[in-house]
Amino acid sequence: MRLDGVGRRYGVSGPWVLRDVHLEVPARALLRVEGTNGSGKSTLLRLFAGIDRPSAGRITGRPRTAYVPERFPGALPFTALGYLTHLGRVHGLRGPDAARRAGEWLERFGAAGHARTPLANLSKGTSQKVAVAQALLARPELLVLDEAWTGLDPGARDVLDRAVAERIADGGTVVFVDHDPRRLEGAADARYRVADGRLLAEAGGAVSGAAVAAGPRVIIEAEGAPGSAPDRLRERGGQELPGAPDITAGPDGTTRLTVPAVHSDALLRALLTARPPWHIRSVAAAPSPATPDDQRITPAPTPNAPAHVHPHSDEAPLP
Amino acid sequence: MTALLRYQAALLIGSHRWLPPVILYAAYLAVGVQTGGPILDSFGFAAAGLLPVAVWLTRICVTNEPPAARSCAAAATGPGRVHLACVLTATGAASLLALLGTAFVALSADPHSSVGRVPVPVPAATGAGLLTALACVLLGTAIGALCNWPVLRSPGAAIPAGLLAALVLSVVSASPANAAVSGLVTGSASGTISTPWLPLAATLPIAAAATAVACALSSRRT
Repeated sequence: MRLDGVGRRYGVSGPWVLRDVHLEVPARALLRVEGTNGSGKSTLLRLFAGIDRPSAGRITGRPRTAYVPERFPGALPFTALGYLTHLGRVHGLRGPDAARRAGEWLERFGAAGHARTPLANLSKGTSQKVAVAQALLARPELLVLDEAWTGLDPGARDVLDRAVAERIADGGTVVFVDHDPRRLEGAADARYRVADGRLLAEAGGAVSGAAVAAGPRVIIEAEGAPGSAPDRLRERGGQELPGAPDITAGPDGTTRLTVPAVHSDALLRALLTARPPWHIRSVAAAPSPATPDDQRITPAPTPNAPAHVHPHSDEAPLP
Repeated sequence: MTALLRYQAALLIGSHRWLPPVILYAAYLAVGVQTGGPILDSFGFAAAGLLPVAVWLTRICVTNEPPAARSCAAAATGPGRVHLACVLTATGAASLLALLGTAFVALSADPHSSVGRVPVPVPAATGAGLLTALACVLLGTAIGALCNWPVLRSPGAAIPAGLLAALVLSVVSASPANAAVSGLVTGSASGTISTPWLPLAATLPIAAAATAVACALSSRRT
C-alpha cells in the first residue's frame, strides 16, 4: 500500500490535521505510530484502515484490512460469538469457518466462557477482546490497532502481542498506536511520529542497527537436519525468518537465533515446520542489556516456548 | 455484500427499533382502511403512509451501529458498502411492510369504485397498489438517506428535516409519490386503475442518486 501526498482535514475549510504524508507501507512489517494526544494519530490510523478518505492525495494498493478501535462499546444486539461470526462473514469467511475461528479466538483470549453472553453484558475488557478477535479472525494483510491493548488484562495483552507477531510472520503488516512505550519494544521495524500534522520517521526501529537490543529478547538454540544450514533456512521461500533473528553459531554445531521475545513463538513455529524440521535444543530469555537500576522488569529465565513444541525437543532443558 | 446485509438485518431485528414504526403503521392501516372500503382509495391510503415509515426506518438503520462497530466493518469492506447495506436493509424492511399492507388491503377492501359501484378487478388493482407502495418506499428511502448521517450529522437537524421533507413530498403534486397515490384515489371514483409506471420510474433514479451521495460521503465525514 502507498500513501501519496495524503492529507486530511475535517470540513471544507477546517485546519489540516495531517498533510503531505508520503509512505510506502511494506509487507511483513510492524510500524509504530507515536504522537501526543490530539496530534492526529487516530486520523492517520483511520486513513490506514480505509475508514476515512484522504482530503488530499491518494492511497493505492489497499490489502485486506482489519481495524481495532480503542474502545468498543457493546451496544449491539448480539452475543460475542454471534457478532464475531457476522464480522467473520463480512471479512469474507464462510459461515461455519467464521463461527469456528470466532470460537478459537475467544478461547485464545480466555473469553470462551463469554461466547454466549450478549455484548451489552460484557465488561469493558471482554468487549475489547471481542473487538480484537473480530480483526484477527480473518487473518488480515493489514492490521490497524488504535490502542487496542487498552483495557485488556496482562494475559490477553501477551496473546495480542503474539498474534501481532504471527500476522507479520504470515507476511502481513501491522500498524499500531499505544501509549506504553514498551509495547512490542524492539520488535517494530519502523517508528513514526505525528507532529504538527506531519508524519516524521523516527530512529529506533529493529532494523536500524544500534537500537536492536531494546526490549526483551529470546535465544533459541536449534539443530538443523544434517546439511541444513541456517542460511538455507533464511532462504526459505525467499522470506525472512519471523522477527529477523540474529543468527550465530552455537555450541556443538547448533545454531543460535536471537529474536525479540514477541516473535519467538512465530520463529519456533517456522523452525519446527521447516522441511526438514529443525530440532529445538533450548529456549531461554536473553540477558537484558538494560542497566540494573532500570525500572524495567527483566524477563524471568522462563522459556517462551509454546505448548506445542515439536516432540524431538523433549530433552530440551525446559523446566 | 450478502454478509453485510445479513449483519445489518440481524442488527435491525435484534435492536427492536423497528417496532415503533411498524406498530404505528399497523395502527394507521387499522384506523384508515375500513373493511369494505373502496379498494383503490384504500391502496392509495396504505401507500401514502409508507413514505414517512420508510424515512423513519432508514434513519433507524443508518444510526443503528455504534461508530466503533461501524469502523470495524468499514475497515473490512469499505465505508461506502457499509452505508449501502444500511440503506438497503431499510428499503427491504419498508418493502416487506409494503407487501404486508398491500395484502391486508387486497383481502379486506371492497373491490368496487367509490362512486356508482363499478367492479374493480382485484389482481390489477393489487398490482397498482403494490407499485404505488414501492414508489413511496423508494422516495422515503431517498429522503432518509439525505436527511441523516453522513449528510446531516446532528439529530437536531436530521429529524426535523426528514419529517418536513416527508410531509412536503407527500402533498406537493410534483412529487412522484403524490402522483402515484392521487392517480389511485382519483381513479377510484370511476373504477379506473392507473398503474403508476411513470412515478415509479422517477423514484428509482432519485433513490439511487440519494443513496449514492450518502455512501460517497460516508468515508469523508467522521
